[in-house]
Amino acid sequence: MNPGSAAIAIDGLTKVYKGNSKPALNNISLTIDRGHIFGLLGPNGAGKTTMIRILCGLLSATSGEVFINGLPVKEKLREIRRIIGVVPQEIALYPSLTAYENLSVYGGICGLKGKNFKLRLEELLPVFGLEKSLHSRVDRFSGGMKRRLNLMVGMLPNPLILFLDEPTVGVDVQSKKVILENLVSTNQSGTTIIYTSHYLEEAENLCTDIAILDEGQIISRGSPEHIRNSGDSPASLEEIFLALTGKEVRD
Amino acid sequence: MRTKLIYKDILILIRDRGGLAMLFIMPVALVVIMTGLQDSTFRSLNERGISLLLLNQDEDSLGLTIEKKIRASAIFSVHTPDDSKELTGLQVKEAVASGHYQIGLIIPRNSTQQIRDRVKKNVTTILSGGRIPEITTDSVILQVYIDPATQSTLRTTVEVSVRELAARIESQIVLSELAREISSRMRIPLSDPALLNQETVYYREEFAAQGNRKVIPNSVQHNVSAWTLFAMFFIGIPFAGAMIREREDGSFARLLTMPCSYFSIMFSKVIVYLVVCYLQFFLIMAMGIYIFPLLNLPALVIDGRMGTLSLLAVTVALAAIGYGIAIGTIARTHQQASIFASISVVILAAVGGIWVPIFMMPPLFRHISQISPLNWGLNGFYDILIRGAGIRAVLPDMLYLLLFATACLLLSLYYHKMRKDLI
Repeated sequence: MNPGSAAIAIDGLTKVYKGNSKPALNNISLTIDRGHIFGLLGPNGAGKTTMIRILCGLLSATSGEVFINGLPVKEKLREIRRIIGVVPQEIALYPSLTAYENLSVYGGICGLKGKNFKLRLEELLPVFGLEKSLHSRVDRFSGGMKRRLNLMVGMLPNPLILFLDEPTVGVDVQSKKVILENLVSTNQSGTTIIYTSHYLEEAENLCTDIAILDEGQIISRGSPEHIRNSGDSPASLEEIFLALTGKEVRD
Repeated sequence: MRTKLIYKDILILIRDRGGLAMLFIMPVALVVIMTGLQDSTFRSLNERGISLLLLNQDEDSLGLTIEKKIRASAIFSVHTPDDSKELTGLQVKEAVASGHYQIGLIIPRNSTQQIRDRVKKNVTTILSGGRIPEITTDSVILQVYIDPATQSTLRTTVEVSVRELAARIESQIVLSELAREISSRMRIPLSDPALLNQETVYYREEFAAQGNRKVIPNSVQHNVSAWTLFAMFFIGIPFAGAMIREREDGSFARLLTMPCSYFSIMFSKVIVYLVVCYLQFFLIMAMGIYIFPLLNLPALVIDGRMGTLSLLAVTVALAAIGYGIAIGTIARTHQQASIFASISVVILAAVGGIWVPIFMMPPLFRHISQISPLNWGLNGFYDILIRGAGIRAVLPDMLYLLLFATACLLLSLYYHKMRKDLI
């Protein structure tokens, strides 16, 4: 493993939650090259969110090493926080604040102030279609608007690596289209995207690299095309996914 | 970055109208209501007195003196209806039992004569070298009926007053009889025996304040201190609530993925809520000084000690905020935090002497009260507002409050780290 050249390098990552004998992540080793849109797929409870939280430094690993842009998460978390953007599964916004106030607070914390903040805002607002609602309180937004703003906050500091945990859950077709188009254009401008989703078709169209995670282990890895062709005969990603993870309903 | 965090916390706070009402209107209402209630109780005792129904059937010294003294006393409001002579003991008891009077006192017929006869007999026996029988059947019994709803302190006041008056009259009679008997036996001319009863021990009362300060404690001095503290500690509820909301909606985690430490997030909250606590403090003080007199309540007397009070208020605020941070960090849900915070603050207030003075508590609770931060704060406020002390006297209390705040912050840090490492 050469962590210096990869966007993310993981070596022997294991996470066992307190009181659980079964690991949520079991000795995972993985390298994600820069410039990819990496899809982390898996059924409920596969360990996707745990992995994202460890990569962002929100959770400590039980064992193993994680490098972000060549920096070890354990020692260089402060530096890592300056180059990553995170879009959590929840709508992590302040509902009583307006969209502008939310953007101003989060942008300011990332060091985006004054003219730079204004320029970035002018750049992103029309893309996300939030110009008219900029000074409305977030608690009056529709679900789709909240999702778009949630994504916009993550993209505001123009991060080198953007983590997205199911960013299109519960949004309408129009908002989903806006979000996915923006992810592609953001990736084209040089941002590595790490993305988790339950929507396999969405992942298939968006991602350049995919890993299927189940019971804390990576059970398939490669480009969407490679995974589709990994069976006895070519199949859709969904068919391969079900063949690998089983048809049993997960909690 | 910190200014943005502070800006965010201010916006969240001012947009939460319910929370703001809880932080400012409720404490003010609480101070006004509690002070008003306690002041009226205080005044009713002083102005109206304890209502006492007197059935004085003795027309001699004992009955007349007791009646005269209790009428002169500010403690009692004496009722002796015109037809009181017609009243029976049972009727007095019923009048008290029905709640019309707090106390009923019956002085039996010929009480004075009975005492006199007994004393005379005893004096004669003593001077003849005889022995007085220990148990006598001719004792005078002053019957006191007490309304069960009357506070125990009032009961004690009545008991002490009646006993003192009876004892004084009895000793007068004893001295008079002794003097008369000695005079007749030794053939010494007798001047007025009442001169022997002149009081030689006097009682002078003064509230012991530090320095040359003259302090007259009133319900406002007590209540403003107590309820300001209570209000400041109640900040723990909205504070912990705000923390948990931020954690539940993912904003807290998002902040932690940005160039922003746990310390910075907490620092901004501490600054904002410190200002809130300070505003609460000044609002209640201003109410005490300027608004209470308009409500016919005594004015709060600060007596130039606002600087010391402000310093004490900072330490109280830090302790309250530290407590809020600890609850907000340890509690898992908003419900858990709000229930625990409100009940624990009420308990800390109760054992801290906010409702019942510490000296009136049983020994166990007196010990427990020493570990309540509200008790340290209350001691500090009393030292300044009532005992007229300066900064030196309240330094130990301030130190305890700061240590409490530090302990709460360290506990929160430990929990925060534990969540990240162990869960």
